[in-house]
Amino acid sequence: MKAIHKVPLGVCIGLAFAIILDTAVQLCWKVAVSRVPDTDGVLEMVASLVRQPLFWGVIVMFLTQLANWIKVLGRADLSYAQPITSLSYISVCILSAFFLHEVVSWQQYAGIILILAGVWFISRGEHQTVGGTVE
Amino acid sequence: MNHRLLGVAFVLCSTLLEAIGQLSLKSSATASDGSRRKFTWFAAGVGCLALEAVVWSCVLRLLEVSIAFPMSSLTFVVVTLLSALYLRERVNRQRWLGVGLILGGTAMVGLG
Repeated sequence: MKAIHKVPLGVCIGLAFAIILDTAVQLCWKVAVSRVPDTDGVLEMVASLVRQPLFWGVIVMFLTQLANWIKVLGRADLSYAQPITSLSYISVCILSAFFLHEVVSWQQYAGIILILAGVWFISRGEHQTVGGTVE
Repeated sequence: MNHRLLGVAFVLCSTLLEAIGQLSLKSSATASDGSRRKFTWFAAGVGCLALEAVVWSCVLRLLEVSIAFPMSSLTFVVVTLLSALYLRERVNRQRWLGVGLILGGTAMVGLG
């Protein structure tokens, strides 16, 4: 619990928000791209992609993520914040099994546990080791 | 060409773009407000991520998302390394251990 208290609440919320957006972007993007028919022309594929509302949803989420991420990076190390976003691998894996009916094997579940352990180690340490925001 | 192999090549490409993009965004975030440096790094970061988005679209058409996404975890190794080298962040043993576990875990998710 001590480690959690050390990290500012703003950083925690920013990281959580980043993970949620990451997950949503991955799943929506996968669905959007899968809906594009197989054709020879790249232009036709792009045209088909931009006609999908889901594609524009992904763009909006991207922009939101960018603003949120810059805020997080202003207050935490890149080598701290970035690995923690790997938690979205877990949510993507589980949700893609659920919604996209992709099969998740026991090895994949074991891998998820390793990822969790890795994030736990990183989150226990300092969140900022260099100057931070220069105002 | 084998779809899977081509997909992996695209994943490596996007990994590199992501790492360069992240470092640029971090440089932008810590630059003083309103400075030209802040804007330049931001533009460089967004440029890298936009290019990565194009590459990633190709990846998702070639591989399942539950396989492709975890493979991009190589980014963590590259980003951690570059954070230590260029941003002078103190990457202690605990952080490296975490990155190692994440890499192992995502490899298992990717190959499983």
